[in-house]
Amino acid sequence: MNSAYLTYAGKRLAQAAIVILLAYVFTFVVVSILPGDPITSVLRNPQNGFSEEEIAQIVAAQGLDRPVLEQLWSSLSGFLTGDLGLSMRSHRPVTTMIAEVLPSTLILATSALFLALVLAVVVAYGTQVLPKRYGQGLLRAFPSLFLSVPNFVIGLVLIHLFGFQLGLFRVINPDSAWATFFAAVTLAIPISAQIAEVLIASLDHEADQDYIAVARGRGLRPFRLFTRHLLKPSSLPVVTVIALTIGELLGGSLITETVFGRTGIGSHVQRSVSTQDLPVLQAVVSLAAVVFVLANLIADLVYPLLDPRVKLLGARTPRSPASKPAGASAP
Amino acid sequence: MAPHDRLTTAFPHNVQVDRPTPLLHVEDLNVSYGANRVVTDVGFSLGRGKSLALIGESGSGKSTIARTVLRLLPGATRVKGRVSFDGEDILGLSERRFRPLRGRAIGFVPQDPGNALNPVRTIGSQALEAAALADERDPRIARERILETFAQVGLDNPQRVYDSYPHQLSGGMLQRVLIGLAVLPRPLLLVADEPTSALDVTIQKRILDLLSRLQHDLDISLLLITHDLAIAAERADSIVVLKDGSVQEAGSTATVFAAPSSPYAKKLHADVPALNPHRYATLRDPGFRRLGDDGQAPKILVQNLTKTFEVDGNVLTAVNDVSFSVPSGTTHALVGESGSGKTTTIRLLLGLEQPECGEITVAGETITGRTHRSMQSAWRHLQLVYQNPFTSLDPTWTVERLVREPLDRFKIGTPAERAEWVRAALVDVGLGAHLVTRKPQALSGGQRQRVAIARSLVLRPDVIVLDEPTSALDVTVQADIVAVLLELQAKLGLTYVFVSHDLALVRQLAHTVSVMRHGRIVEHGTVSDIFENPREPYTVALLQSIPSGAASPVRARTVRPAVQPVFGQEQIA
Amino acid sequence: MTLLSTATAAHLAPTRRRAALPPLPVVLSLVFVALVIAWSLVPGLFTGHDPIAGVPADKLLGPSLAHWFGTDHLGRDLFARVVFGSASSVTSALIAVVIGVLAGGLIGLVAGFLGGWVDTVLARFVDVLLAIPKFLLAVIVVTAIGFDTINAAIATGVSAVAVFARVMRSEVIKTREATFVEASFLSGGSRWHILLRHVLPNASRSVLPLGVLHFGDSILVIASLAFLSYGDPPPASDWGLLISIGKDYPKWPWLVYAPALVTIATVLSVNRISRWLRTTD
Repeated sequence: MNSAYLTYAGKRLAQAAIVILLAYVFTFVVVSILPGDPITSVLRNPQNGFSEEEIAQIVAAQGLDRPVLEQLWSSLSGFLTGDLGLSMRSHRPVTTMIAEVLPSTLILATSALFLALVLAVVVAYGTQVLPKRYGQGLLRAFPSLFLSVPNFVIGLVLIHLFGFQLGLFRVINPDSAWATFFAAVTLAIPISAQIAEVLIASLDHEADQDYIAVARGRGLRPFRLFTRHLLKPSSLPVVTVIALTIGELLGGSLITETVFGRTGIGSHVQRSVSTQDLPVLQAVVSLAAVVFVLANLIADLVYPLLDPRVKLLGARTPRSPASKPAGASAP
Repeated sequence: MAPHDRLTTAFPHNVQVDRPTPLLHVEDLNVSYGANRVVTDVGFSLGRGKSLALIGESGSGKSTIARTVLRLLPGATRVKGRVSFDGEDILGLSERRFRPLRGRAIGFVPQDPGNALNPVRTIGSQALEAAALADERDPRIARERILETFAQVGLDNPQRVYDSYPHQLSGGMLQRVLIGLAVLPRPLLLVADEPTSALDVTIQKRILDLLSRLQHDLDISLLLITHDLAIAAERADSIVVLKDGSVQEAGSTATVFAAPSSPYAKKLHADVPALNPHRYATLRDPGFRRLGDDGQAPKILVQNLTKTFEVDGNVLTAVNDVSFSVPSGTTHALVGESGSGKTTTIRLLLGLEQPECGEITVAGETITGRTHRSMQSAWRHLQLVYQNPFTSLDPTWTVERLVREPLDRFKIGTPAERAEWVRAALVDVGLGAHLVTRKPQALSGGQRQRVAIARSLVLRPDVIVLDEPTSALDVTVQADIVAVLLELQAKLGLTYVFVSHDLALVRQLAHTVSVMRHGRIVEHGTVSDIFENPREPYTVALLQSIPSGAASPVRARTVRPAVQPVFGQEQIA
Repeated sequence: MTLLSTATAAHLAPTRRRAALPPLPVVLSLVFVALVIAWSLVPGLFTGHDPIAGVPADKLLGPSLAHWFGTDHLGRDLFARVVFGSASSVTSALIAVVIGVLAGGLIGLVAGFLGGWVDTVLARFVDVLLAIPKFLLAVIVVTAIGFDTINAAIATGVSAVAVFARVMRSEVIKTREATFVEASFLSGGSRWHILLRHVLPNASRSVLPLGVLHFGDSILVIASLAFLSYGDPPPASDWGLLISIGKDYPKWPWLVYAPALVTIATVLSVNRISRWLRTTD
């Protein structure tokens, strides 16, 4: 931990904060400024049953009658002080609403991430350790097969097999451990496919490198070759992939929670979408952005500590006259 | 006591010293990747303590043979024939029974040291694996032996090397590490696959000397894979010449080298620059006459050029007060190892970079201090041929379009004239018209470089800068390209600036030479000045690194002297 | 020497390529994708049943020769619904890919080629898009512009912009610093010439397989949006919507499995083709 590392960390932290803020503004812009006036149209939808007075009240409370820029400003300053506003549907503070359902989604997402990692590692390492004849081809087909199956289909099939046929959990009030487990599997499969794909490619690439042949020429057994030489360098990219796919856990929870009838952030989004509940949507988007940005920040900060080749990325593309003289002058 | 006597006590499999059966015997070897046969009916024998060189160009199958002996070929390869090692057919062995031989009895020194060690582990941790092969289980003793070996292969600070990661060491140091690791378990056979081709010339010689010394002091047999006939002649007792996977000629070095009988071996011999310094004498003579012509202003005048770069906060002077001049119609060679500043110098010469100070004049036009836009007019007369023809041609373009591009861009001639000039330029470089519709991918390396030369010729420039134009090519291809370049110079009166690390090649084709080191020109003069009367020690060292084909002093020693044993007495105790 | 080894590899490459016809799985994939495209262009050729008007007496029949995929709760032939639904499923995925490739490609091209502050601004924008989970982003956009299938396609395209922008930018930067670009510069090439004739064709070579891959991905995202009823309402028969309706009849599982298998097979084929394109290039 020298000062160069701290400078680098500081710079990345500032970048992260900017991205989160911009993501918040972006959602506001998309929902409030794009053509059509979804908010008032929803309020005036007779199905929702708001009276004119109530509408006026909501409009005033949300500041919908003020100019857009002013709305953005007050919304943004609220965000900076941790106030995410009131839900338009339930008039409750969005922070409270999110806090209520966060644990459920968090359990789902973390167990899904864990399952995804285990599955990916088993599959990818299997392609290297198993002999060619036995099952390697099947393991190699795994990622592209599971990337091709819609998330909700996996969920429906699991519910059908284990809920209806085997009766492992009740479909209507699925609060059992089995229900959570299968929901996590549903969420995990596409993500594990992505991790496995990268891991297999990385293993194949590293296994092709000279140093592996040289180590074999040093008489190492295949298993030791795998554990001592192949494992670490080929697993490093997984850090990056996890950071990149972690946001999809939240996106995927939208479908998974709907299919399994769970209450969580995803099902909140699902409901807020149909009622155009902007404050809730904005809160969820910022939460997702925070998770994504933090995960990537951690990955970037950890990477130089794991891989001795990576020098501090003060400048992400190191330039030296020998390697890239063209950069200075080419058009 | 001769070193190997001491070693036999520690390593029982070394006991028999001179059995009549060769250590390595290869017979009717055939190797194919899928439908592609890369080795056909190859056979040779290597005796104990002897050295044998497999010579060939790319695609000759030499590396495949090396990997067959080590059984390091990829899974989809089919191998037929016999490879017996120490009397046992190793192709028939199961992987489990062969593994104990790998490393322990057969050591391996790879081609590219930069990629031959695990990048995320320290050198020490990988060296311990090699020590384990020498049945050294006690980590403390193993470590000591590793440090000693590192010292003995010429690494200055063994402890630091032990604790380093591979990327922290230079290529030469890594190759020493790898050689050290290969000989640590005292193998009977060392397979060295182009062990120096990724290294600078002066380092090359030192690494080869080290290999020869270890081979003799430890009584190891050496199977040397190389593309360089002169290196093979210097380092090996016998030579096998390969082409397209089959043996062209084989025999003792003295016979094959001094009196090659097969056509390919003859061509190879004739094409190695180091062995034929005067091959292009007649083509080069007009240039020498121009050198004497004092009345003429030089075509290129470079004065007091300095260029610095900032790297990680440090200022690095890439080019330091460099001056030279080139008379019209002659070739000036810039010679130096990597990092000597020769590439930066030509980038300044072409106006691709701007110097801090100094002045460059080409054909009376000042190059320095101009904008890119105004450089365009200069580039009509000043062209560059890049080192690597695999990256200098746009892979999505056809040959015809590539060569025509300069004419189109500078809007020279009518479309019909352009087509005619393109055809003429291709004829000049010896390419047939049937290639014009091909894309670079469908061409060989030599053909690509010819296309690149045609592209720079089509504008009829006065000056062509050649940045190591043959270093990515095989030696026979290199000879063809050099012949084309010199014929064009004789025909069109072109002025060349030729950048190279290969002194033997420079001796063949240049008229004047500047030797660069650390950004400065350390010595300059005519080609005969430099090669016959070098004044600077660095130039002398460079010249000595040219392989001459004469047996090296180490190999020539028939009696092994007790002086300078590689492995000291103390480590055996 | 590293150069030497690339040289060797490149020597071998052309001979290998000439021999390579598409392997069998790729041929099957191409055939299946062609079939699906034919369904969406001329659905009437493939089925005699009406996708919208059902025969109530025939409701919830199992798969048979008369009804390959069985019938739904209104007695409509499910195979006909899948065939007629492919038009909007395929077209909308195509729209999504075109939006992603064009918008993302343009952003990446401009950012990579101009560099400097333009690159910084665009890179931040792409970072923001990347930071929002793709599916959530698609949901937000479709919320803002309204629920129907074309809007779902637009939303899916917007959610793919960041990926294309990033790949295009890195390809452009790689190509911009290639030796052959400098060679063109020395041959008198202007910036525009280099951008359009050298950088764009080379950078696009790796964007094409990615586009194909995203076609499969878009089918999935659009199906998911349809599943959550953010697309056209029934009687439209987008594949995701069919599955969503089918899930309410758990005793008749083919109502889920048949459209699901068609979706999976399509995406799988498209992915296989993309992988093949990547390895042949």
